[in-house]
Amino acid sequence: MTLLAAASIATGVMMLVAAVAALVVKKLISAIIIVGFVSLSASILFLLMDAPDVAITEASIGAAISTVIFLWGKGKIGGEE
Amino acid sequence: MIRTIVGLIIVLALSVVVISSVPDYSLPSGLQGVGQDYTERGVNDTGSVNLVTAVVVAYRGLDTLGEVVVLFSASTAVVLVLTLVPMGANPTPSSSIVAFTSGVLPGSIVLFGIYIITHGHLSPGGGFPGGAVVASAFLLVMLGSNKIPGKSKLLASIESLAGVTFGLLGFWGMMMFGQFLNNMVLPAGSPGKLFSAGIIPLISLVIGAKVASELSGVFSSYRKAGGDE
Repeated sequence: MTLLAAASIATGVMMLVAAVAALVVKKLISAIIIVGFVSLSASILFLLMDAPDVAITEASIGAAISTVIFLWGKGKIGGEE
Repeated sequence: MIRTIVGLIIVLALSVVVISSVPDYSLPSGLQGVGQDYTERGVNDTGSVNLVTAVVVAYRGLDTLGEVVVLFSASTAVVLVLTLVPMGANPTPSSSIVAFTSGVLPGSIVLFGIYIITHGHLSPGGGFPGGAVVASAFLLVMLGSNKIPGKSKLLASIESLAGVTFGLLGFWGMMMFGQFLNNMVLPAGSPGKLFSAGIIPLISLVIGAKVASELSGVFSSYRKAGGDE
């Protein structure tokens, strides 16, 4: 197995673990941050797979913008889960 | 807890079904059909070194126009719905780390975004990613300030002007060669130079301006509707 394949698989496993963690974690704000982390890992995965164009879009839209919009939405509805 | 376990079991069962239904899937060796055609003729046809941009802007430029229209209608709907929500109070002040970072970083983020937009035909990126990066700089500014953004006619005018310019660039090709968004209305130049690749850089600029202004408009209306975080 090449180094690239190993890194891709490690990133993918990390994403899966984080995605499950986002479902089971108690606090809503932690879930939002973990979802942002999943997006960031997806962007790294795109970069490893030679798709820098997609990686830039995923990092800015998925990791930055949607995380902040979720945070603002949580601020609007208030309260915990 | 029981709901979580049941959901997990359902997902596992579904993934077993999906994985077992594709046992003999193998990647095709090399490119075929239209992909091969694009990679062979792309640089000569469009003069764009970045083939992804060549496909997105030149070959499938009409689809990109459709994508821009989708984004436009989505952001219009968001702004329309959020103006019905009563204005929130001033957000709580952000922490000193965020406040300091939002004073330092946005300039370089905007510069990076403009680089991505203008070099879309040379290096990875293009109008859409670059516009999103520029918009994320404005997002950082809004995160750091504890004031509600005011009304801005400028954003709406940039957005409309960019959309109209995209259409006009398309009709330019129609007038000259009878083909919408024909790339050859400007000389292709020598591949690898900043001023090359026909109208691809112009369309990247237009898309970048449109995406950045649209996303910024969405953020400011979210902020107005009262985020306390």
